Amino acid sequence: MSSIKQIPVIEEKRTNPLARVFDELVRFCRSRSLFLLHYCTGCGAIELPPAMTSRFDMERLGIQPMVSPRQADILLITGYVSIKTLKRVILTYEQMGSPKYVIGICSCTVNGGMYWQSYATAKKLDEYMPVDLYIAGCMPRPEAVIEGLQQLMQRIKTGEAKGWEDYYRNYDYYLGNQQKLFGNDWQTPTDVITEAKHYDLLGEGTLGEHTALLEQHQQPLEALEMRLGHQVKEPAE
Amino acid sequence: MSKEIAHWLDNLLEEIEGIKVRRKSSRRVRVDVPADALPALLELLQGRAGYIHLSAISCVDWIEEEEFELVYHVWSYESHSLVSAHIRIARDPGVYLSVYDLYQPAAFFERDIHEMYGIHFEGSPNMEKFILTEWNGPPPMRKEFDSEAYINEHLSWQNYNPEWLQELIAEGGGIIIPPEEQRFSQKKK
Repeated sequence: MSSIKQIPVIEEKRTNPLARVFDELVRFCRSRSLFLLHYCTGCGAIELPPAMTSRFDMERLGIQPMVSPRQADILLITGYVSIKTLKRVILTYEQMGSPKYVIGICSCTVNGGMYWQSYATAKKLDEYMPVDLYIAGCMPRPEAVIEGLQQLMQRIKTGEAKGWEDYYRNYDYYLGNQQKLFGNDWQTPTDVITEAKHYDLLGEGTLGEHTALLEQHQQPLEALEMRLGHQVKEPAE
Repeated sequence: MSKEIAHWLDNLLEEIEGIKVRRKSSRRVRVDVPADALPALLELLQGRAGYIHLSAISCVDWIEEEEFELVYHVWSYESHSLVSAHIRIARDPGVYLSVYDLYQPAAFFERDIHEMYGIHFEGSPNMEKFILTEWNGPPPMRKEFDSEAYINEHLSWQNYNPEWLQELIAEGGGIIIPPEEQRFSQKKK
């Protein structure tokens, strides 16, 4: 949704009196061991090496860079997202296993930043995927990045960081925005609706006109063709 | 040595009709030629003066004059100098000859210009999409393409008016030129 504060908090019904204690423990552990996938789309990426390495050292917080989306918990989007990149960002986001958190770094993810007038960049990242935390600035210094990550840890610990649940509960809204930008035949290899059912997060906004449109256009996925080498096009005579 | 080459180059360039040579500095020469004389000029520069490196082709859209300006930058490793050959072609239909047969890297630049400005280069090996593979609109670098109108239609901004800014405004400070008035479409009015 447009603001993370508008997301309704849905209380889970737990019968076991120990369940809440256990939940808290799980959340604590979760917040102390985060793998971070940094999707370096823009200039903000330059502030990440100092944040990761010895000077500011994100690992003392238990946060480590991770190479693949399947194993990552945080998707860090550093800077402007062009429309071509946004498709890949959404694919990456959907591939990540839940629970997953998105951090938007730099002004560009908030409102287009200095590329506000560009035809090629997406302006508001949270129209296309739920963003748990923004770190504004052009670009934010490593101190700010560390501060933001600490805040995210706090939010995970208290159970406030529920952006990923929102993606399942309001999938129709996000898909609608994606379709508006990429065209009606937009589809991703991930079956979000089935995943929502799996996590028991099928909300009122999961299905709607946009998901109906998706079903209409959806093509069954085929395995990619394997090819060795690359084809070189002969110049026209 | 380099002075001799420069002098020799000036003599060489005079061989072409309708040419205007302006020496910007000891290492930079600006040459304006009619569009049909450019292949001959490049051939001379490449074959007889050692300008073997085409570093870029740039394009300027002069919408009021209804012309495109193409600038071919060629570099010589021997005299360490750059010649920029400027030509003007009609904006409509925007067709020009490829120099791929003289300089092979031209294919790359011509494809880029074709994508961004819609100029068609005859004889260029590949005029397919290059960077904007998922773009269906008009060539975006043309002056008549209104980027702001495009994003107003396809994308949206969020307004930013936090409390601390309101406090500043109440005290008589704040943003001097608000973002709405910064936009080019507003400036014209």
